[in-house]
Amino acid sequence: MSFKEFIKELNGNKVEGELLKTIVISLITSFLTLGILYYFKLSSIDNFIPKYGFFIFLAILSYAIILPSIRQVRAYKEFLCMAGMMVGMTIGMMTGFLAGFYVGATNGMFWGSVFGMIVGIVLGVWNGKYCGIMGLMEGLMAGFMGGIMGAMTAVMMYNDNLKIAGVISFIICGTILFGLNYMIYQETKNVERKNKEDYWFTILMSFVLTVATIWLMVLGPRSVLFQ
Amino acid sequence: MEKTTIYGIGIFLLIVIGGYFLIGSSENINENVVDSGNSGDFQKVTIGMKNYNYYPNIINVEAGKTVRLSLDSSVSGCFRDFTIRELGIRKYLRTPSDYVEFTPTKPGTYRFACSMGMGTGTLIVE
Repeated sequence: MSFKEFIKELNGNKVEGELLKTIVISLITSFLTLGILYYFKLSSIDNFIPKYGFFIFLAILSYAIILPSIRQVRAYKEFLCMAGMMVGMTIGMMTGFLAGFYVGATNGMFWGSVFGMIVGIVLGVWNGKYCGIMGLMEGLMAGFMGGIMGAMTAVMMYNDNLKIAGVISFIICGTILFGLNYMIYQETKNVERKNKEDYWFTILMSFVLTVATIWLMVLGPRSVLFQ
Repeated sequence: MEKTTIYGIGIFLLIVIGGYFLIGSSENINENVVDSGNSGDFQKVTIGMKNYNYYPNIINVEAGKTVRLSLDSSVSGCFRDFTIRELGIRKYLRTPSDYVEFTPTKPGTYRFACSMGMGTGTLIVE
C-alpha cells in the first residue's frame, strides 16, 4: 500500500475522505467561537489581539489538525496492540505538547503544564483505550510528558525566538499527526469501519478546546513571572 | 473539481483570513519589566554567565542601600528571568540595559536564581 493510494483515498468514501472536511469544520467552529467571544467579551480587553492573537491562532490550527486523527481512530475503534500504542502515544504527546506550549507561553510553566497534561492525558487515554490497557497507559504517559515538555519549552524560549519556535513545533506536530493518519490507513486496510458519525463531535470538541484555551490564556491564573 | 482541492482551498482561505486578523497586528509578547522607582544613590551589580551558571554567583551588598542589578549580554535563555524569592523579586530583564532595583533592609544570605532554578547564586546582605 503506497502513500499515493492514501492521498487518493483522501478523495474517497472511507473515513480518510472525511479528514480534510473535518479540518475545515474545526477551523470554522473555532474561528466563529473566537469571533463571538471577541464581540461580546474579549474586545474590551486591552491589547487582546497583539498579546494573545498569535498563540490563539496557532492553538486553533493545532486543534484542527488533531481532530481528524481522533475521527479516524473513532471510525475503526479496534487496533492491534502496537498500532493502538502508537495512536495513544502520538495523540497524547502531540496534543499535550501543543496545548502546553501555547498556554505556557502566556501563563507560565505551571498553568501551561497543567493544561497540557489535562488535554494530552484525556485525549491520549481516550484514543489509546481502543487497543486496551497498553494503549491507555501509553496515552496517559505521553499526555503527562507532552504537557510538561510543551510548557517547559515555551518558558525556556521566552527570551529567545518564542513565536518561531511555536511555528516550528506546530509544523513538526502536524507532520507527525499526518503520519499517524497514514499509519492508521495502512493498519486498517482490511478492516470494516465500525463507527460512522456526523460532524457534531468535531464541532463540540473544537468549541470546548477553543473556549478552554482562550479562557485560560486571557482570564485564567498565571504564574508569578507572567503577571 | 476534486474533494481535496475544494477542502484544500477552504483550509487555505480560513488560515489566511484567520491569520490576517490574529497575527496582523501582533507585537512582541516579551514586555520589559523594569522597576525604575529609585534613581538616587545605589549599589550597581552586573551579573554575567559562566559555566552554565550566573557569574559571579556570590554577591555582597550593604543593607539599607538600594541595589541596581542588571544582567550582561552573556546571560541568555531563562537565566534572564531573575528571581530572589525571599525578597519577593521576580523580574524579566530582557536586555543588558534593563535592571531591577530593590533595597534589602535585613542583613542575611539570600539565594537568587532564574525562574526555572537552573542558575543559582547567593546574595549576601551585610
